[in-house]
Order: sequence, then structure tokens, then C-alpha cells
Amino acid sequence: MDKKVQLSGKFKIAMIIMIVVGLISVTIGFITEDGKRAWANLLLNNYYFLSIAIGATFWMAIQYVTQSGWSSAYIRIPMAMSNYIIVSAVLFAILFFGVHDLYHWSHADAVAHDPLLKHKEPYLNVPFFAARYVVFFGLWIYLTWRIKKLSLREDTLGGIQMFEKLEFTSKVFIFVFAVSFSLFTIDWLMSLDAHWYSTIYVVKKFIMGFFHGVAMLTAIAIILNKLGYLPMLTKKHLHDFSRYIWALSLIWGYIWLSQYLLIWYANIPEETVYYIPREMGEYKTLFYTELLMNWAFPFFFLMWNRIAKSANWLLFTVGVLMIGQWVELFMSIMPNTVESHGISFIEIGTFIGSFGLFALIVGLSLSKIPVVPQKHPYLIESTTEEH
Amino acid sequence: MYNTRVRGVLIKGNKSLKDVTQDVLRPMDAPMPRWWYVTAFLAISAMIWGVWGFYNTISTGIGTWGLNNNVAWGWAIINFVWWIGIGHAGTAFSIFLLILRQKWRTSINRAAEAMTIFAVMAAGLFPLIHMGRIWDGFFIFPYWNTRGPLWDNFNSPLFWDVVAISTYLTASFLFWYLGMIPDFATIRETTASKIKKKIYGVMSFGWLGNARSWLRFETAALLLGGLAAPLVVSVHSIVSMDFAVSVIPGWHTTIFPPYFVIGAIFSGFGMVLTLMIVLRKLYKFNDYVTDGHLEAIARILTFISLIMGSAYLIELFTAWYSGNEYELFTFLKNRVTGEYTFAYWSMLTCNAIIPQLFWFKKIRKNITMVFIISLFINIGMWFERYVIVVTSLSRDFLPATWATYEPTITEVAVFAGTIGLFVMGVISFFRWIPTIAISEVKSVLKETTTLKSFTDED
Repeated sequence: MDKKVQLSGKFKIAMIIMIVVGLISVTIGFITEDGKRAWANLLLNNYYFLSIAIGATFWMAIQYVTQSGWSSAYIRIPMAMSNYIIVSAVLFAILFFGVHDLYHWSHADAVAHDPLLKHKEPYLNVPFFAARYVVFFGLWIYLTWRIKKLSLREDTLGGIQMFEKLEFTSKVFIFVFAVSFSLFTIDWLMSLDAHWYSTIYVVKKFIMGFFHGVAMLTAIAIILNKLGYLPMLTKKHLHDFSRYIWALSLIWGYIWLSQYLLIWYANIPEETVYYIPREMGEYKTLFYTELLMNWAFPFFFLMWNRIAKSANWLLFTVGVLMIGQWVELFMSIMPNTVESHGISFIEIGTFIGSFGLFALIVGLSLSKIPVVPQKHPYLIESTTEEH
Repeated sequence: MYNTRVRGVLIKGNKSLKDVTQDVLRPMDAPMPRWWYVTAFLAISAMIWGVWGFYNTISTGIGTWGLNNNVAWGWAIINFVWWIGIGHAGTAFSIFLLILRQKWRTSINRAAEAMTIFAVMAAGLFPLIHMGRIWDGFFIFPYWNTRGPLWDNFNSPLFWDVVAISTYLTASFLFWYLGMIPDFATIRETTASKIKKKIYGVMSFGWLGNARSWLRFETAALLLGGLAAPLVVSVHSIVSMDFAVSVIPGWHTTIFPPYFVIGAIFSGFGMVLTLMIVLRKLYKFNDYVTDGHLEAIARILTFISLIMGSAYLIELFTAWYSGNEYELFTFLKNRVTGEYTFAYWSMLTCNAIIPQLFWFKKIRKNITMVFIISLFINIGMWFERYVIVVTSLSRDFLPATWATYEPTITEVAVFAGTIGLFVMGVISFFRWIPTIAISEVKSVLKETTTLKSFTDED
């Protein structure tokens, strides 16, 4: 039970090749175009994997707060995923070089001639933007580090004290995460179109991260099980995971509808400006693809009991959802930055590279700590059949 | 393998199956207690006053209310939304906690569902009476009619309301009644009174209690539960759209649907907490509704209160961030610092700040404090609806049409009447229906709980 994941050399090489592919495509992006496109792609992929890592961490915090037993054997997967937040901090730091390419409000002359941007200047200015970046990442890294430390100490100490501390830290994390991630999303995504606003926008991205974070950790659990590390992953647990994915797809769809329906119904130009290029122009296909992939597909597919309990079909679902999230972020970012709907080598290559980096970090993290928490007080409920 | 015995039992006192039946049914056979008569007297008095309010409104017209051209929605809508919100707890309890496998719900769900029914009934009266010409009330149903090509406006959220609420009421009632069938059969088998035997026998639909009945019973409960779960969300989302599809500042925000649903569950759980504390005090149900149960609800309330607080902050921030002068005026001038300061800050204090006291274990364990905080939540949620309805309407785009609003005695009477109706419903339920789901509690009698809070007190 105290096994650590052994990373094969092949895996490492494959991931490094993917990273190299990513680097090449980003470089090509910078050389062949004006830089905007490459920056937008970097933003997309950074946000993509950050939201997955932090969404999975949120799932873990919920497991601690609700003192749930069935999931205790899988708690180390989100813990390993949360290590990626540190890497993400570095990647977001690089984006600061592209701030002027991405954000209209960062140009002093634009702000001077735009009363609305002038009004927002106390919040949307580069120094404060950078300060928020530091605070948010600092909080996330500290809290996830503390959770991991406590959990590892539990491995040797046992007992209930560490669990209580973990529960408390998780509560703090949930609160901090909710507020900070919302503001973070306003900063990095919503302010791409600094004139437009929607109160539910941040909720949607919050749910998106949670949704796809759970999907990703399900996939990791299944893969580890196939490699022989998590023998307790029964059909019942698979069903629990797929229920999470199913319920979250429903919530995601609900939030999507809340935003779309209310803006469509009221039909105020200041608000419809967001949907007009997305729904009516060149992005039309992707607009519906986003909804189909993230809501309709998992909703109807996982309703089927046999699929919801099948490891392979779940992997397939997660695959579709991963593309779904990419499409969602593409739709959020591209119409406000590059204004082109083309998907070429730059888009695909950057994603491959980021994926390789993410997989490598998670793999390395899993190889450092025991895959199963050794003395989690509820472990028995997760590893025995009857629960 | 490592195992600390951290999970405690759900039902205390080492009860046998027979004890459960007897404990739950005992208050139903005891002579009518005095508190029951006193409460019933008060509730019926309130209802009579309410009937006067109704009569006044219908015979004279909506002019008897404090409404005017600008503030066309007042207490009626506030109370409607408030009651509907409270009516969310029952189904939320039963369904969401069922899905999340929280077995402690078994001691509470019956009372919560009963509360839902009476709250939704109280809520339904307001739109009905607000029509003014109540005899034309059937116009709201879409059917081929003789009024020419006169159909409902299917684009109107008010019409969606009719559909959503009537569906919700039906589903909640069926779900509640279905759960009671085995318990009615238990009463039929145990009671000494012949009349009771007859009545409960009919109400139990001739329940046999064999394996086949149980199998079908459980399948039906699961299906109804699955169908009712989306209804919990849809009802209040649609109620929120009554406001949010408009262009009124302070109403038109995209966060409204989930924000209303969360608020509804918040107020519903607050009311459940209030009622369960009363019930357990009156019937000495401390072994069934343990301190652990109350603490579990308190924990959920703390969490939801944080969500509410964050939602208020997001609203304020976005109002500023939007740079829209009307939004800025409504939120920062009108609500936070202006004429409606009192209502706004009452809302914020009761909903987002006071429940945070539940972080302290001492307060969670002090039932009097828990009771007081639960009352604050009920009040705070009323103020929330007041803030939304009145502040936005009274100061809209055109300063020339600004108006103030104060409720008249008729409106107060109608509200008091619905409270009377609710209380009367609840105490009738206390008296004639098993207040705890006997069959469900029996199924978890020997089970341990999923929440550590239940063991803390031993």
C-alpha cells in the first residue's frame, strides 16, 4: 500500500518530446505572426491547466470538509495535481511580457481616451494587476503546500489530529479559493474585453475548473489502476466519479444557460456585444460545440448506467471533456484577442506542449509520495468492498 | 490497515426497532397538550386577520395596498419569494442529502418536507391575490379557450412561474406522501382506536409490507426523487428570472438564478433548524434529532452563508466594475449608503456575518444560540428580497417618477395570514402525522454516521 508511482523512462521521454513540440510551435507563433496569437495561446493553456489543477484541489478540500470516506484512497491524486500550481505561477509570470498584446486596458493612451477604462483604472492597472497575481498564487501555493505537509505527516503519526487540521485548512482553502479565483478570472479573462461584464462569468469559470479538474483526476485514477497502483478502484467508485462528472456537467450547463438566457432576453447592446461575434460570426460552430461537448455529451452519455461504471468509456468521456474545456477557453479568449477563428499548428502544438508539462509534473509528484494516504482515518471505507 | 473509530452512531440511546415506533407515535396518542391549543388559537387568529386582508383586497382592489405606478411590486412579491425560498428546504434535504449519502437526513426529512408543502401553499396565495380579479385566475393556464386567440405570453417568466411552482408542489407532495405510506401502515397496526385504524388504513393504501411492496416503494421513491431534484433548482431560477430578464438596475444580473437558488436553500435550512429545535424540545426527540444533527445543519449554513457573502461582494464589485451609472447608483448609492441602508445592512449582517458565529464550536453546541441565529437567517432572507424588490423599483431611470413605498395594514394582514396558515399546517402535522420517518430511521438505527460532529459530545 505504501507504493510510489514508478515513472518509466519512455513516459518521461514522451512528455519531454511533447514539451519540445510546444516550445517549437510557440516560437513559430512569435516568428510568423505579430505575437498576439502566441500570447493568447499561452494564456489559454496556462489558464486551462491552472484551472484543472486548482479545481481538483477544490475537490480534495470538499472531501475533507464533508469527511467523506469512499474517496480517501484517491486524495493523493489532486495533491499531486496541486503541485502544478507552482509551475503555473512561473508560466503566468512569463505572460507579463505579453500584457500589452493581450489587454487593451494596459495601454495608457487607450485609457486616457476611454472614460470607461478610466473609471476602471484603480483596479485595472498593471502594478495592481501584478500585485494581485502575487497574492493569489502565494495563497494557493501556501495552502496546497500546507495540506500536503499535513497529509504526509499523517502517514507517520496516524490518529485524528492531522485530519482535523486538514479539515480546517480545507475550509480556509475553499473560502480563499472562491474569492481569489473569481478575481483572478476577472483579471486574466474577463478583462480581455474590459468594457463588458457579467456577474456569473466568474462562477462559470469556477465551475469549469472544478468540472474538468474532477474529470482529469478520474482519468488519472483509472490510469493508475490499470498500472496496478490503486486496486481499490471498483465499479462503485467509478460510478461515484462519474456522478461527480455528470452532476457538474449539469451545473455547468445551468450556469451557461443563466448567462446566455438573461443576456439574450434583456438584449442590451452593452451585454450582447459579448455574444454577437461568438454566436453569429465565424465562431458559430465552436459556439455550439462548446455546449455540446461540455453539457449535452456527458449529460446524456453518462446517464447510461453501464457507461458510467466502465473505466474505458469514462476515459473516453474525459477525453471529450478535455477538448470541450479547450473549446470553452478558446471561445472566451480568441474573439477578444486575435479575432481569428483559425486553429492551426500553433494552437495544437501549444496545447500538446502544455499537456506534456502538466503530465510530467503530475507524474513526478506522484512518484515522490505514497499513492495512497497511509493512515487516513477513513481509509478502510475506501479500500473495503462493502462501502 | 488503519482504522480509528471516528464515526459515531446516528441514533442515540441504543434503541430497538420497537422503541423507534413507540417513541415517534407516542405524542400522537397523548392527549392534546396545552401549547397546541394556544398555538392553534394564535395561528387561527392570524388567519382570520389574513382573510380580512384578502377580502379587503379582492372587494376593493389592489389600491388597498401601498403600491404605486413605480413600485408595482411590494410586500406581496417579497413574501412570495420568501415563502418559496423556505419551501426549498424539504426537497433539498431529502434529495440532495440522499444523493450525497448523508444518512443523518432520515431524522429530519419528514418535517422538512412537510414544511415545504405548507410554505409553497402560503407562497402560492400571493400571485393569486395579486391578480386582483381572482375569479379570472384560471386565465393563467394555457388551454384552447373562447376568449379569441388569447393565449398566455409564453415568453413571460410569470407564466414559467405558474408551471414551475405547480409542478414543484405536486412533486413535493407526492414525494412526501409516498414516504409516509409505510408509517401510516405502522399506525394502522399499532393504534388502539378504531376510527384511527380506519383512517390511517385508507391513507396507507392497504400497504402490506412484503418484499414486493418495499421494492416498488423504493423504486418509486428514487424515481420521484430524481425528478424532483432538478425542480428544486428550476423553481427558484425561474423566480429569479421574474426579476433578471428585465432591464431594471439591480435586477438584471446574470448571477441571479444560482444566487436565488442558494439563497432559497439557505433560508429553507434556516427554517428547518428553527423548526427542528422546537420539535425536539416539545417531543423530547433528543435521541433522534441529536446535537450532532443540529450541528450538521449549522455547518451547512456556515458554508452557504459564505457563498451568500461572496455573492453580495461580487454584486457590489461588478456594479462598480461595470462603470454603468445606473448600476452604481442602485448598489452603492441607493442600497449601501442611501435611503435603504437599514434594509441592506440588515440583510448583510443577518445573512453573511451572524451565521459566521457557527465557526465557534461553543456556539454550535449552544442550542439557544443556534436557535437565535436561525431566526436571524429567516429575517435576513426576508430583507434580502425587500432590498431587491423595493430599492430597484422606487428609484429607477427617471427621477421624475421616483416614489416611495410603504406597506398598508391590508398587506400586513395578508402576510400575517400566511404565517398563520403555515403555523397551523405545521402544528397539524405535529399532531396527526408521524414527525419522524419511522421506517427510514429504522434502516439507519445501527449505522454509523458520516459526520464526525456526531461523536464529539460523548
